[in-house]
Amino acid sequence: MITTIERLKIRLAVSVELSGKPAKVSEVIRGFQATEADGVWHLYRGMKQIADPKERAIIFGHCLEEESHADAFVRAYKHYGGRVFTPTHYERKALYAGDEPIWKTFAFVHVGEVDATQRFRILSQELPAGALKDCLSNVVSDEEGHVDLTYEMLKRLGATDSAIRSEVRWVRARRLWERWLRTGKRLIDNLANISLSIVYYVFGALLFSAARRRLARGFVTYDNNKMKHL
Amino acid sequence: MKVLGVSYGYHDASACLVVDGRVIAAAAEERFTRQKHDSNFPTYAVEYCLKEAGLTSGDLDQAIFNEDPHAKFSRVLCSSMAAFPDSRREFVESMKAWLGRKLWAVNTISARLDLAPEKITYLGHHYSHAVQAFMGSGFDESAILIVDAVGDWACSALYTGKWVDGKPRVDRLLEVSFPNSLGLVYSAVTAYLGFSPNDSECSTMALAAFGTPRFAPRMREIIKETEDGLYEVDQAYFNFTKFFRGPVTEKFLEEFGPARSYKDNLPFDCFGTPAGVVSKDAQRLADVAASTQLVLEERVLGLCRKLHGMAPSVNLCFAGGVSLNCVSNYRVLKDSPFKKIYIPPDPGDGGTSVGTALYYDAAEAGGVPGRSEYSPYQGVELDELDAVKLVDFIKPEHFHGYLKQGVELPKGSKWRFKTFSDRKELYAAVADRLMAGQIVGCMQGRSELGPRALGNRSILIRPDDQKLATRLSKHVKERASLRPYAFSVTEKDAQATLAIDPEHLRMNRWMQFAVPVEESAKARLAGALHIDGTSRPQVCYVDDNPAYHALLTAFGERFGIGALLNTSFNPSGYPMVTTPVEAMVMFARTDMDALLLNTTVIWKDVEHA
Repeated sequence: MITTIERLKIRLAVSVELSGKPAKVSEVIRGFQATEADGVWHLYRGMKQIADPKERAIIFGHCLEEESHADAFVRAYKHYGGRVFTPTHYERKALYAGDEPIWKTFAFVHVGEVDATQRFRILSQELPAGALKDCLSNVVSDEEGHVDLTYEMLKRLGATDSAIRSEVRWVRARRLWERWLRTGKRLIDNLANISLSIVYYVFGALLFSAARRRLARGFVTYDNNKMKHL
Repeated sequence: MKVLGVSYGYHDASACLVVDGRVIAAAAEERFTRQKHDSNFPTYAVEYCLKEAGLTSGDLDQAIFNEDPHAKFSRVLCSSMAAFPDSRREFVESMKAWLGRKLWAVNTISARLDLAPEKITYLGHHYSHAVQAFMGSGFDESAILIVDAVGDWACSALYTGKWVDGKPRVDRLLEVSFPNSLGLVYSAVTAYLGFSPNDSECSTMALAAFGTPRFAPRMREIIKETEDGLYEVDQAYFNFTKFFRGPVTEKFLEEFGPARSYKDNLPFDCFGTPAGVVSKDAQRLADVAASTQLVLEERVLGLCRKLHGMAPSVNLCFAGGVSLNCVSNYRVLKDSPFKKIYIPPDPGDGGTSVGTALYYDAAEAGGVPGRSEYSPYQGVELDELDAVKLVDFIKPEHFHGYLKQGVELPKGSKWRFKTFSDRKELYAAVADRLMAGQIVGCMQGRSELGPRALGNRSILIRPDDQKLATRLSKHVKERASLRPYAFSVTEKDAQATLAIDPEHLRMNRWMQFAVPVEESAKARLAGALHIDGTSRPQVCYVDDNPAYHALLTAFGERFGIGALLNTSFNPSGYPMVTTPVEAMVMFARTDMDALLLNTTVIWKDVEHA
């Protein structure tokens, strides 16, 4: 669920951070592409655990849609990015251990779809006319279908209403925690930027001439060719 | 002895399991995560390798890593300090990555595998490449050449390898130090040309064939041959230590003209560019590519001559990223003093997990040269029978909106499949489809190690049809028309097809050399040739891949030559497919006509819908 504060944040981001800044927009698009591609990967993994071919065929169709969305974002990127598109890479991690029931994975996907749909809808409403707005408008209509589809899938896979509600609450708490972690990481990142910049100017002034001499040597003089241990 | 090789941290993370001197399994992480050139810790590749042998990480005697993090850190630190005061951003970003993660790579391996630190060995990066090149070669002794972007400090390195008392011994002769890097120059020019560096160097190589090397004299001064037979790169033209400022400097742009935006059209076509469509600017870029390619070849040949002078052998083992340049490789084969050349199936960083694991095993437990040879087919093999059950429930009309851009499928088409019990019948059926001009995805057996599809994760078409190849480029691979295709040919038909020395045929098993094609065969291979009449063939021997050989033979019975145009089975921007479902998704979204999954053929049936 997107909170009012988040809605405001998105609106603010569009009007302040993204407005007239194609490089920023292209970074946002890279993130969307990565989210869609990541979703496909989780669906592939989820599919492996489902025995019924009919159910798997439904997820197969879902994979096609998500992959086509990832492609659509790559195409949109070309309108903003100054450089050739390179995807963002995540360290892929399974959402649940192998012994957890498969419907839990779909509960996670379902929450992701709900949030993505809302976020994309607000963004597409706020953005000025352009490739990203068009792309998001198309994606949103598909994603709305995915929200229903993933909910249906949860029930088909044997989850009860109360179990779904409880799992959705758990997923939301987990996503909130991850968001906090990301915020903390950004904070540490900023602190690291400041301290490393100080280190750079203090030590760089002392060491740069030695470093230049080292680079000018042309040959590797020490022999690093042996087996080593910590 | 059970040894796990691990490579990760920069690009192409991979894992390899060697048990008693033999490769049991090896794979790149990208094949499991669907992220091309994935550099993250190879969790899923390790899991696959151990599962293949029925082991857990606790059973391992040793894990071996392909890099010395401390040596590499000293280079990164030094290069960012050397550019003071203009490299603050480079320093900050590098230090965050290194102090936060990369410097502790060996500890990470220990933690992830739950192995004691004393059970983990690591090697310098170029030494890893050197043992990688030597161990799979089967040579008793050899000169070894490593050329890549940069490892710890070295960018190019010369070694000798030999077996002494049943153990491999690889000794350094010399290493050319950062920033004198042929690989970095090539990647910088790749970025200048508007392609993706560390991925699309093949596009630079392909573009070079359309140019004339009119900038070569200038490029020779920039990548200068030194009196001792080595080379030096003039740093005034490149931003290797200030990479946030772009790959090349203003001086480079003044000399060679403005860089290409990737949006600018390059109208070259490997089947013949229509007259009058190439602008002066596009031609200039092709000429820059041609000049860079030529000088790269000259410098690699210079290194070969230097190496041969220091280690006069008939054998050469060659690895590192630059050994993926198949045009340069053929120059080495043709013009260097070496007679036999071995390039591992995955000569880049991904393949170092294999070579280092083999080396550790042989160095500790002993071995013989031939035992550690390995085939490229070390990856995942998956049964398709479960996946094809989906076909009955797939309704193509539901995904008409999700096809790749430009692809149109006839309304009302339906998927059908047939599983064959007789392999001969299977290959006859597929060969008939190929003869009829169909685009067939082929996924059978274990996946290949490295960037080349060698028949097990390939898309195949008949090799004589340029229109079909253009359709393949546009509606399946989404690939620029300037990039040529390659072909596979049976060893029986290879000699009549390739204009090369018969002794060189076996070296062409893994698509590593761009070689000339016989005039008499050119029309029959027209779809798989570059504008200059060369191609990058895979000579398929029955022992290497019996299933693919049988398919080539079946096609040869109908076509006259056992040859097929062969390109990797991957959607644009993704790695090669690993599972049948991934193959089916690509089949669904593109203009492929049929799909061979082990013993099952799936096709899009329009007539009977």
